[in-house]
Amino acid sequence: MTPEAAAAATKGPLAEAPLILGHPTDRQLNDELLAPIFDPNANWKKAVGVAAAGTGLLAVGVVVTIARGIGMWGNNIPVGWGYGIINFVWWIGIGHAGTLISAILLLFQQKWRTSINRFAEAMTIFAVMQAGLFPLIHTGRPWFAIYWLFPYPNTMGIWPNFKSPLIWDVFAVSTYFTISLLFWFVGLVPDLAALRDSAKSKVHRIAYGIFALGWKGSSRHWQHYRIGYLILAALSTPLVLSVHSIVSFDFAVAQLPGWHTTIFPPYFVAGAVFSGFAMVLTLMIPARAVLHFEKVVTVRHLENMAKVMLVTGLIVSYGYGMENFMAWYGGSAYEAFLFFRTRTTGPYAPIYWTLIFCNVLVPQTFWFKKLRTNLAWLWIASILVNVGMWSERFVIIVVSLHRDFLPSSWGIYAPTWVDWSIYVGTLSFFSLLFLLFLRFVPSVAVAEVKELNHELHHQAGGHA
Amino acid sequence: MPSMKSLPVIQDPATKALPGHRPLWQSVEEVARRRGEFAAGAAEAPPELSRRSFLQILGASAAFAGLTACQPPRDKIVPYVQEPKEDRPGKRLHYATALSFEGYATGLVVAAAEGRPVKVEGNPAHPASLGASSAFDQAALLDLYDPGRAKGLWRKGQALGFRTFLSEVQKLSAAHEADGGARLSFLLAPDASPLLAEFRRRLQLRFPRATFRFWAPIADDHAQEGARLAFGRKLDLHARLERARVILALDSDFLATPGDSLRLTREFASRRQPGEEMSRLYVAEPAMTLTGAVADHRFRVGPAEVSPFASAVAAELGLGKRSAPAGSPLARAAKAVAADLSRNRGRSLVLVGPRQPASVHALAHALNSALGNAGETVVYTKPVLGDAAPSSAAITDLARDVEAGRVDTLVVTAWNPVYAAPAATDLGALLARVPNAIYHSLREDETSKACSWRVAAAHPFESWGDARGRDGTVSIVQPLIAPLYESVSTVDFLAAFLDEGDKGGLRHLQETWRARTGLDPATFDREWQRWLRQGIVAGTAESPVAAALAVPPAELTALDPPARPEGLEIAFAPDYSVWDGRFANNAWLQELPDPVTKVTWDNAAYLSAETARRLGVSEGQVVTLAVKGGSLSAPVKVMPGHADDCVTLPLGYGRADGGAVSKGVGVNAYRLRTTPGAWRVAGAAVTPGKGKHRFAVPQGHFAMEGRPLALDFASHEWAHGEGGGELEHLRGTPPTAQVPVDYSKPDYKWGMAVDLSRCTGCSACLVACQEENNIPVVGAEQVAKGRIMQWIRIDRYYSGPAADPQTISQPVMCQHCETAPCEYVCPVNATVHSDEGLNEMVYNRCVGTRYCSNNCPYKVRRFNFLNYRPEVAPVETLLMNPDVTVRSRGVMEKCTYCVQRIERARIEARVAGKKIEGLQSACQQACPAEAIVFGNLNDSGSKVARLHDDARRYDLLHELGTRPRTAYLARIRNPNPDLA
Amino acid sequence: MSAPFKPHWNLLARLSIAVLGGGAGGALLALWGYWHTPYGQRLQEEVAQPVLFDHRHHVVDDLVDCRYCHFNVERGASAGIPSTQMCLNCHSQIWNKSPKLEPIRKSYFTGIPIEWVRVHQVPDFAYFNHSIHVKKGVGCVTCHGRVDEMPAVTKVASLQMAWCLDCHRNPAPQLRPPEEITSMTWAPPEDAAARTALAAELMKKYDVHSRVSCTTCHR
Repeated sequence: MTPEAAAAATKGPLAEAPLILGHPTDRQLNDELLAPIFDPNANWKKAVGVAAAGTGLLAVGVVVTIARGIGMWGNNIPVGWGYGIINFVWWIGIGHAGTLISAILLLFQQKWRTSINRFAEAMTIFAVMQAGLFPLIHTGRPWFAIYWLFPYPNTMGIWPNFKSPLIWDVFAVSTYFTISLLFWFVGLVPDLAALRDSAKSKVHRIAYGIFALGWKGSSRHWQHYRIGYLILAALSTPLVLSVHSIVSFDFAVAQLPGWHTTIFPPYFVAGAVFSGFAMVLTLMIPARAVLHFEKVVTVRHLENMAKVMLVTGLIVSYGYGMENFMAWYGGSAYEAFLFFRTRTTGPYAPIYWTLIFCNVLVPQTFWFKKLRTNLAWLWIASILVNVGMWSERFVIIVVSLHRDFLPSSWGIYAPTWVDWSIYVGTLSFFSLLFLLFLRFVPSVAVAEVKELNHELHHQAGGHA
Repeated sequence: MPSMKSLPVIQDPATKALPGHRPLWQSVEEVARRRGEFAAGAAEAPPELSRRSFLQILGASAAFAGLTACQPPRDKIVPYVQEPKEDRPGKRLHYATALSFEGYATGLVVAAAEGRPVKVEGNPAHPASLGASSAFDQAALLDLYDPGRAKGLWRKGQALGFRTFLSEVQKLSAAHEADGGARLSFLLAPDASPLLAEFRRRLQLRFPRATFRFWAPIADDHAQEGARLAFGRKLDLHARLERARVILALDSDFLATPGDSLRLTREFASRRQPGEEMSRLYVAEPAMTLTGAVADHRFRVGPAEVSPFASAVAAELGLGKRSAPAGSPLARAAKAVAADLSRNRGRSLVLVGPRQPASVHALAHALNSALGNAGETVVYTKPVLGDAAPSSAAITDLARDVEAGRVDTLVVTAWNPVYAAPAATDLGALLARVPNAIYHSLREDETSKACSWRVAAAHPFESWGDARGRDGTVSIVQPLIAPLYESVSTVDFLAAFLDEGDKGGLRHLQETWRARTGLDPATFDREWQRWLRQGIVAGTAESPVAAALAVPPAELTALDPPARPEGLEIAFAPDYSVWDGRFANNAWLQELPDPVTKVTWDNAAYLSAETARRLGVSEGQVVTLAVKGGSLSAPVKVMPGHADDCVTLPLGYGRADGGAVSKGVGVNAYRLRTTPGAWRVAGAAVTPGKGKHRFAVPQGHFAMEGRPLALDFASHEWAHGEGGGELEHLRGTPPTAQVPVDYSKPDYKWGMAVDLSRCTGCSACLVACQEENNIPVVGAEQVAKGRIMQWIRIDRYYSGPAADPQTISQPVMCQHCETAPCEYVCPVNATVHSDEGLNEMVYNRCVGTRYCSNNCPYKVRRFNFLNYRPEVAPVETLLMNPDVTVRSRGVMEKCTYCVQRIERARIEARVAGKKIEGLQSACQQACPAEAIVFGNLNDSGSKVARLHDDARRYDLLHELGTRPRTAYLARIRNPNPDLA
Repeated sequence: MSAPFKPHWNLLARLSIAVLGGGAGGALLALWGYWHTPYGQRLQEEVAQPVLFDHRHHVVDDLVDCRYCHFNVERGASAGIPSTQMCLNCHSQIWNKSPKLEPIRKSYFTGIPIEWVRVHQVPDFAYFNHSIHVKKGVGCVTCHGRVDEMPAVTKVASLQMAWCLDCHRNPAPQLRPPEEITSMTWAPPEDAAARTALAAELMKKYDVHSRVSCTTCHR
């Protein structure tokens, strides 16, 4: 029986599992949480090797695409957007957990965010990096897109089209990335300092020293740090909602059945958080075991995330329900045809039903504490949810496009090896960045955990 | 881009290396002088010109001159040495000429930019064109610039200069003269050219014992035989559809008749407006054709059941007794048709296709005379082709002679006999045995391989000559450009056997015509100029002859029809894209979706779903068809509306040595055509094979799914609809979030109207558009991927029973929506609206997000997914329309309403201080049915404005509120109430 | 333990941030600025031509009208570059021995055209038409500058899209009377009122509808 299970068992069913097991000292926490950096896991190198190889695929895919053209992808007329945009939306969505956990839970003073926020933020940044790649390479002439998409006084005397959601995307995504990066880095500073100070080798000291920006942990430092951290949190809170709302406009603003849907912004945001948390779990559950973070990342954390997934899962399901209701109630023959024939029985029906299973049914299991606290199931479920969310994007983009208004122009879409290698490539690149993160940066916010540890200690003391 | 100097003579070692070849253009001023010869032939020529053409004429070469640090190179400007008098930079010159097809000419007007023919247009003055042009006519331009054309003159693999060739031929002829040419034989392409007829006369004088045979893979000798049976002599039949109220087409695809399709389509379309005068078309045919698709009643009968049906109709009309078994659907049909025909004596018409035996043709003549149609809806003339009519027997007679070693010299101008000859007669091997087999052809093909002499033919646009339309009207064929390759025109080629090969086509032509007309030089020169300018020689049409039946109708009806064949019957058909195979190397036509099946780059064994089921084969499955003396494996394609128990095989595919484009495309149906000129072969055995074939079909789905897209009404429904009440909800401006722009202010408000009642789906507009707008060809694989580039597509929908459906064609191009969904989603403003309401596509601004296409409900946008012009031979760049940007990879494109024509006309008009007049879009110009009308909606008098107010007008996907500028006019069918 | 950095390293840190940040921005700014420099626009750039043709001499000394050589300017898109023949219309009589004109005579007798180097170059996707501009009152000098003062022709206007649009959006100030189209020296009236009056009058007289729709130039 695992320690946390034991801890849960000793108390009543209603009592919550603790956020930190036992009463470690700061030194213990310091050593345990920084351990992965100073004595890395033996298999780390292998993992990096695999991820790096996969990243090679990405390079190949991108080079081929730029050298030969979008024709190397499966896209066609009518399906002008395929894997490129599917993956873009999917990755952006995944990126949402970080900001939500860091910013919103911080503002709501949720204690349980503390040991997982660093993790989530890192994931956010890496996910957004993957996402950011696609809008550029999916254009026919990226070399022009790079600068024609930005408004500046130019020799052509014309501006971008501010009516186009794609322009909004440019701003939304770049802002989101910048803020997330700052937020993450600012949070890192005290821990980098801790690393610097506890580092054995000079190289480490200097390397971390540079990024620690001369942090001394003086109360003045802490004061500025707190203010800055809160400001960034406040700044990024609206982004959680805005980014995916704007991404959803790419579709909602169009007149295509399956795209032209007013409910898209909320349900995209919910879906994003849904998939974001799923991805955090997918990464956290193994990482926590490998890096021995059970003490600070307890079942309580995982269970809470499961709860958030349940809620967002329900919102998403409601979104699906609403879509279908509107398709019937709205009385547009084209929309009804899409929802009640193309999606359910068309050539891509299996993907639609996968989506329903993964996004609607799977989260329902989280009503039960047994399943919520069952790490194995939690892990599988989190993966299923991400499969489901990917399928959702496929259904929205490809299925809506491949059979639109004029049956004469109906077509079929099949991804090519380039599509696949870019998709797998981004997954690998994401893992690579993540492995590097685990290896070189404290993957748990040590300072905050220490702080929390003291708080909890005091409370406990108070009652005793 | 080659400079003007290098333009006429292609840098091709094959031509350069040849010793003493004929004088080609040497320099710019010579170009000018040469074109000066027939400058008077120029019809109206727009005085305006574009920068691009300027670059062309001044031969901008990307020489890396004035290259500074990191600056792009500067172009060169290369002016004339001497200004040609009739030409100015960018001025478009229009030349009237003619193009022969199966021996019959269609009058054309070809636009030349800086001496390069760049656009083929119909000649309004020509009776067979009436201003329209067919897909074949349009595509001729691609043949002209085809880098794969035959080059040079060769004997036994060794190059001859033109002069050497002449002297060699002279020797040959001299040798044959001795025995009167007994061992000299000609296999000629059918041609009504008076000049060539004159040549033949003189050749016969010189070689009295020489044999002259005329052959083409697709001949209508059944029709001629039928006429002989009926009238005792061969006569040409000319339908007058504008007078016909009831038409019965017996296996006759008259809308695709060689040499007459444009006129007949125009006349047919003119009678398809709702009202008293609307015509009614009955078609009885095995496979769906253009004609069958527009029929009011289509009877799905096998090729062998047409004759009984015809007899049944005759019987109903009191001619003969052979009536169909009572109660059978065909009997009912025959009754109704007969009644309708007899109600319209003198206003009805019975037409028979070349696939039917002479007896059916004879029967039709009997019916037409009995119904008093002769001289009314049908007139007869003596055959325009005369003795030059093709006969299917020619090929076997020739084979026999060669077999017997009776031929020393064989002169072939007929198209590719080796490929198209019956499988049994191994002509290839036979020709190889002829000491001097001289083959004159535009391309190296199967026959060139077998012949000891190969003479590259000059393209009609490169040579002088004359030709006659199907009604006999003579046109002078004038060259538009000096030969691009070392080649010989047909006139010079045949003249060589009169020892006059070096005289030059022009002199032959003028001498012959001076003699024919007997005019004094001055008048003749004046006349000559007029002929060139008008493109026709007025008053040369054959005058109708009174044709009385030579035998009583009873006898004709008594002619035994051929016995009903046993087992599966295979029917051959000319292909809408490659005809008999002669266009197989033309990429435009190969990629042209078949008007009926929408298949590109392919043919197939077409059969009905029922037959497929019975044979246990499925769509795309490769089957082996075996008949006596031949077998062939072909992929199966189920064709809605195909008759049961028969297979239709389009000819012309599966070329072995047809050139780069045609290689490996389709299957060669000639392998089953065991008897010469056979149209049908019975008793075919079908064995299902393993392989699965994937057809490249650009259209995804053929049912309208109950959506109001391509609308049609039966005439009686329509009459009750008091002027289109049904359509009220499909026009007008629905409320939209956008504030509508007022387009009534500017002088011009461009719009288009497409009349589905007129459109036959012939697809001439597609090729015209491709030619006008520099649209690339993408190939079968890309088409199958859904990346075809044509800006117009003709949607084909089926309705009613799957086995025997009704069909409708709907041309769809950019609708130029006033509130266009594509515009607001483009991030870089690459597609925007003009003040005159055009939906503009700015290629050079496009970054290729494809968002516009996703948001286009009509899916009319096309994207350059790859570089569809990987390598372009210099000669191919001459084909480009200098007024239209050639799009690069990663750029979206679409129909622009031919904006380059609008702007050209605008500047022209504004410089002259007038308003734009007579502006036509390329598709409108080509359309033989006048189904597409483009123009200014702010001019209430304009035709397009009237059509926009028509009762039949409706908007495609009206409820989306896109406010398309292209309006559709619902199609009206005219079914027979008795058959309802 | 001892800190890896001494306090004065902070300066270095700040500097490096400034350099990195500023450098990136500066590079973009420089790139942007390049297209606004005469070099980027290739203005006043001397071009070596195959023949030492001097516009000053022909226009000022000989008073040859632009349209004599640029014969097509009122009728076509291109102004028309004179043919060798046209040069010789005069130079068969005068200076017919001049070595400077050797290339001309050579071209005439060999039939090989002279290859001039293009100075005013517009991209292939932009369709410019001289005739409509000349017919609507835009003078040669407006775009080509004082050719009568140029030993060798150089570009004086950027020919960038924004430059075209400036005039197309407000053509009135650029118009001149028909008889002054080819004049190198004509200037609008000094006094503002008269100037606007004339502009307005010309706008009406020429019936100017300068268009800014994309397809006016891009097809």
